[in-house]
Amino acid sequence: MIDLRFDRVSKRYRIRQEDATHHAGWINKMRSRLGPGKDFWALRDVSFEVTRGETLGIIGHNGSGKSTALKLLASITTPTRGEITIRGRIAALLEVASGFHPELTGRENIFLQGSIIGMRRREIHAKLNRIIDFAEIRPFIDLPVKRYSSGMFVRLGFSIAAHLEPEILLLDEVLAVGDMTFQKKCVERILELSRSGMTIVFISHDLAAVERLCERAILLQRGQVAGEGPVSALTAQYLTRMEPAVEERPPANQQIVKIKSVQFFDESGRAGLQFRTGYPLRARIDYEASAEVGPAVFRLHFVGLDERLHCEFVSGMNAAAQVVPAGLGAIEFLCEEIGLQPGIYHLDAKVERPDGSELAVQRRCALIHMGEGKQVHGTFYAPHTWRPVSELTPPSTQEASQHLSGII
Amino acid sequence: MQTPSMAQTSVPEARSSKVIRPPAFNPLTTLRYLGEFKAYTDLFLTLSLHRIKVRYKQSALGIAWAILQPVSLMLIYIAIFSIVTQMPSEGMPYAVFVYAALLPWTYFSTAVSAATSSLVSHQQMVTKVYFPREILPLSYVVVGIFDFVIATSVLACLMIYYHVAVSFIILWVVPILLVETMFIVALSLLFSAIQVQFRDLGFAMPLIMQLWMFATPVVYPLSKVPARFRSLYVLNPMVGVVENFRHVVLQRMSVDVPSLQISFVISALLLVFSYAYFKHKEATMADII
Repeated sequence: MIDLRFDRVSKRYRIRQEDATHHAGWINKMRSRLGPGKDFWALRDVSFEVTRGETLGIIGHNGSGKSTALKLLASITTPTRGEITIRGRIAALLEVASGFHPELTGRENIFLQGSIIGMRRREIHAKLNRIIDFAEIRPFIDLPVKRYSSGMFVRLGFSIAAHLEPEILLLDEVLAVGDMTFQKKCVERILELSRSGMTIVFISHDLAAVERLCERAILLQRGQVAGEGPVSALTAQYLTRMEPAVEERPPANQQIVKIKSVQFFDESGRAGLQFRTGYPLRARIDYEASAEVGPAVFRLHFVGLDERLHCEFVSGMNAAAQVVPAGLGAIEFLCEEIGLQPGIYHLDAKVERPDGSELAVQRRCALIHMGEGKQVHGTFYAPHTWRPVSELTPPSTQEASQHLSGII
Repeated sequence: MQTPSMAQTSVPEARSSKVIRPPAFNPLTTLRYLGEFKAYTDLFLTLSLHRIKVRYKQSALGIAWAILQPVSLMLIYIAIFSIVTQMPSEGMPYAVFVYAALLPWTYFSTAVSAATSSLVSHQQMVTKVYFPREILPLSYVVVGIFDFVIATSVLACLMIYYHVAVSFIILWVVPILLVETMFIVALSLLFSAIQVQFRDLGFAMPLIMQLWMFATPVVYPLSKVPARFRSLYVLNPMVGVVENFRHVVLQRMSVDVPSLQISFVISALLLVFSYAYFKHKEATMADII
């Protein structure tokens, strides 16, 4: 049974070049406003099907057309060509809490938001307590939501949608919200819904999250379907098609040090871009210096898709700084148990003088994919050991009794 | 391989099925949307109720604002047309004469003005979730009705103060207000859809309403309009509404059927067109808002 079908769907947007008419006077401005404008095809001849009970992932980089696909599925906009067939009640969770009214209380907003996504008042009444408990905001439920913290806001939004129980659920980057514990809860809830037979379409650029939830995925690139199949089979394609970002370094002839390459090796010594949380990761920076530089510090930054710096490898600082002679050279970092969460990370490589002035920067020089490895509960994996304790007298009790006798 | 797939398609489909195609302007298919609107009645009611609740939150005078607006307009017009210059008011005290017209007029002008910007001021909702978009402008019409009911209390007080008698003719206000509401809904749908593409309409709104009020017998009686202009003048649907409202409430005069008929026909035709236009524009609203 097919619940969703995209049949040769294309979507065109008109882009009006308003900046070009700044000095052109109001007649030209009006003409550009009413005229045809420039065409941009966000989707071109996209066809796919989702069977009942399946969880399909749609992956793609920014601008690949995945948000447009979701908007079409959610009926927010209509296709320019082609046909979309939807069987069943559909609900989209594009951005949690988008319909919240700041002046209304949490409880009133549950009714408002619930009815926006198509719930009946009766249904909302029946689920009210479960929604409040899932969001963990019972003490604040009768306060206006403008007094809420952003975390509470997001939890309430997801909680409403997660209890909606449509026949088809659309999810867009929802897992990128809230703290880690709440994210875990969200994933569990989605898996629970998926097991209950709900058809789910999950749109994300977080490969790890898609891999956890979906058995099958399609890869969108420049508005077209570039691949289809199990997530693991698409990962390599996804990573190699990552377009390199624009370089913002000074012209090469002004640089004394040039980063030639950054390579990564996994536990078996193979070069690659796939790693696992809690397992070894080795990184090697090859460089060339046109003259002797003196002491220098090498840095490798792991930047998440949220543009946050997640961790850093750094070579010896101050007195321990590496002296870089003229010519070719290389430096290697080794981490026995990399603690990064599953996900995708950009790499920025840097060479600096000990005073912090930059010698060479290469942003977005690589993109690695951290897969599921050792289990992580919390924000990162911490390498640790454990042992059973044989001496059963707790040392603290002894100390406490000594302390007591001292007082007496 | 053919047989199983054929068998599968013949299984009765309990779920609703929906096919989305490129938009096309077709007034006949708009009837289909009424059924969809019905499924969202709960949202319409919830949103309208919340709008009334929110409107006067964090304002010191609260609900009194619903009365203050027509009352202050009334005082201004008394000052101009009763003290500075003498405007005939068909034998009624000018205060009650002008207030009885300001009631349906304020309902019209506030509802249409608010509804016009309703889609633009809810961009978040329009671009993030689907629901029949007409719910947004319509919820402002409900607020207008609510304010109208509140402001009626002042009219009752004025009528008691000036000893204006009431007869059963006053029941005519029901069809008169229905015609007015129909006209308001039609304009709200049309204007809000246009406003999505051309914000100019929103800027022009105060001016339009100002001119429109003077083209409607609010501060003066219909009888003051020269006879040769009158056939053109009554094409303004608000003429039939305001003049008849004042007649049946204050003057115990029976309703002027032809002018109300004109208002009704124009409103009904405009409503059909506006709804079809709105639904056509709705398809790509999220892209251009």
